[in-house]
Amino acid sequence: MFNKSSRLEKFKDAETVIGASIRVKGNFQGQGNIIIEGALEGSLKTDANIFIGEQAKVVASIEAKDAIITGEVRGNIKAKNYLAVGATAKIFGDVQYGEISVEKGATINGQLSLGSEEGKRAAKIEDKENAPAK
Amino acid sequence: MHVYIYDDFLNKSKHQKTINRLEIRLTDLGLNGKIIRLAGIKNVKSAIQNEIKLGAKTIIAVGNNQTVNKIIGAIIDTEIYGDFQKKTLLGIVPVGNDNSIAASLGIKDLEEACQVLLARRLAKIDLGIVNNHYFLNQISIQSLGTVLEIDDYSLEITARGEVRVINLLSDPSAKISSNPHDGRLDIYIRTKRKDETHLTAKEMKISNPENKIVIDGVVEIETPAAVSVRRDQVSLIVGKDRLFE
Repeated sequence: MFNKSSRLEKFKDAETVIGASIRVKGNFQGQGNIIIEGALEGSLKTDANIFIGEQAKVVASIEAKDAIITGEVRGNIKAKNYLAVGATAKIFGDVQYGEISVEKGATINGQLSLGSEEGKRAAKIEDKENAPAK
Repeated sequence: MHVYIYDDFLNKSKHQKTINRLEIRLTDLGLNGKIIRLAGIKNVKSAIQNEIKLGAKTIIAVGNNQTVNKIIGAIIDTEIYGDFQKKTLLGIVPVGNDNSIAASLGIKDLEEACQVLLARRLAKIDLGIVNNHYFLNQISIQSLGTVLEIDDYSLEITARGEVRVINLLSDPSAKISSNPHDGRLDIYIRTKRKDETHLTAKEMKISNPENKIVIDGVVEIETPAAVSVRRDQVSLIVGKDRLFE
């Protein structure tokens, strides 16, 4: 899944980073890209991208454009565009995506469903934009 | 007209040489003006307010972070504040310790401060407010047990370290790019477990029953404390090596 390195690049300068020693409770609506390495309980939403780190424990519904999950998530996930599930990910909840990749070893305990046509179109447009010039 | 406000600690003999050097340099550069010495003045607020009423175009804080905050505290939320915002610039000449505000503005020492005053490069800066205190740089508190309530969520910190709420970045080692005129405060948390957190907020409540908040490295206040920011409140004379755009 991580061969799509251009997508991971988005997180290099994340506007919001929640470290491993932080517990967030409530409806967290961040600005721009969000990285969660700590614990979060409630809901998590951004118009941009979300990265859930390996040590993170999230009990929340998640909504983002792109999402990369490598930690534990108990709640529904909606990635309008692209969802990457890493080998260390544990997801307990329904998952909606425009496009998905799942690494060997990941746990997903819930329903997987392809999101809206709009999401799929967005994913295709982005793929074209990220394709190397010939 | 330039009005130089000398903080009371400059009365100590160890600063006399520095003050002499400053006054000679200012005269050389044609920047000399009226001097107000806060030592011995009972009503500091009214002394500063009076100078603005008399038409001071530039007020220069000679001292440290506390001097700057004293001047802002004397002016803000008073009847002359509107005039101050429109007509008066604030400059800083750092003397002694605790000069992180000057450092943020790209003013490292006395000589550089004189050059900055001469060049008259201007920037409008937000002003942080914590309860009834004001801060230009930052407030900080020990992280363990601190709870931040922001909008619809709260952050609880479970490790030792430091929480900083930054308006104007003074420490380039903090891996954030803080903008002091975006109407937002940067929250930067670094713990001894080496993890870092950063996010921004317009307002928040900080609680920690065990520890106090330190304002601009000088004044301590108890929690709970309401923290907010007011956009573009102070026109400052800044150096070209300032730590913000």
